[in-house]
Amino acid sequence: MRDEHIKKLLDGAPLSSLGRAELAAVRAHAEVCEDCRRAVAAAQLSALMLKTRAQESFEPSPFFQTRVLAALRERRAAEEGWTLARLWKSAGLLVSSLAATTAALAVFTFVAPSEPAVAQEVAGTYSAESVILDDGADEQMTYDQVMTSLYGSEDEAAR
Amino acid sequence: MDLEQAPDEELARLARAGDESAFGEIVRRHSPRVFRTASRFFRRREQVEEAAQEVFLKAFTQLDTYEGRGSFEGWLTRITTNTCLNLLRSARRRPELTSSDLSEDEGDWLENNLAGEAAEQQPSIERAVVAADLAEKVLSTMSEDDRVVLMMMDGEEASVKEVAEATGWSESNVKVKAMRARRRMREAVEKLLGI
Repeated sequence: MRDEHIKKLLDGAPLSSLGRAELAAVRAHAEVCEDCRRAVAAAQLSALMLKTRAQESFEPSPFFQTRVLAALRERRAAEEGWTLARLWKSAGLLVSSLAATTAALAVFTFVAPSEPAVAQEVAGTYSAESVILDDGADEQMTYDQVMTSLYGSEDEAAR
Repeated sequence: MDLEQAPDEELARLARAGDESAFGEIVRRHSPRVFRTASRFFRRREQVEEAAQEVFLKAFTQLDTYEGRGSFEGWLTRITTNTCLNLLRSARRRPELTSSDLSEDEGDWLENNLAGEAAEQQPSIERAVVAADLAEKVLSTMSEDDRVVLMMMDGEEASVKEVAEATGWSESNVKVKAMRARRRMREAVEKLLGI
């Protein structure tokens, strides 16, 4: 039997499940093969450790049931709280967007009308009548300029 | 209705409908088995208890998926195994183990058992604790999948089918995983022995 065959046998199934013939073959080979002897020793120790470890087990405490039910209630409450928080957050978003819209409307209502007031002021300064008669231009001319413009033009006409 | 006498399927139906006491009875009835299964993965009581609690909370939210075809116990064992595997995956794995990582007792235990002296000694709690410590040290260097197949098949002598049912793996996958895990464990112990 080659080394690999023994190792495959060792790894293929738990040692405790090997039949008498298989165990005899393993032992016989291990006596003549150093490498396989090490493998068999390690496999036996592994099996022993695992069996001992598997015997360790805990029993639930008398309060375990109460603990689980309390945790369940807590988790449910947290989930409900989370749903409420999400609802509140959505409502908050709606309220803030409404507030923003109201503020924007207020700005348009009370601030934007100041522009027509300026327009009215300007319109008051430059009435249609004054623009047609051009009163403003006359006020800017001195008396001499008026006389010169009147008589100077008559002299030119007489010449 | 006497919940203690009710079958698992009836308790599951009532719990699904929101009956907390029915779920409480499920916890009472199945917690010993859940604890035993979780003990394969964790060695400290508080870790086992934490894992078991997580198992029952998960089971409660997944009650809709229990169709009543297989046994309730089998369904719960699968949830337990998968929950513990996930909890272990999130924990950091120990690096490779060398003989310098062993305590004096652990070194002695290996030497005595190698020489065949242990067979002549009376089994004692102390020696069992040392052996379990050693097993845990070696297992903590291996993957979670290695641990579950080794603990179930070599430790508890579970069949391939039982491991397949508990983990959800195919039977051929279990055989392959078991073979590889045994080889890794054997090699790790050989290294510790320094032979």
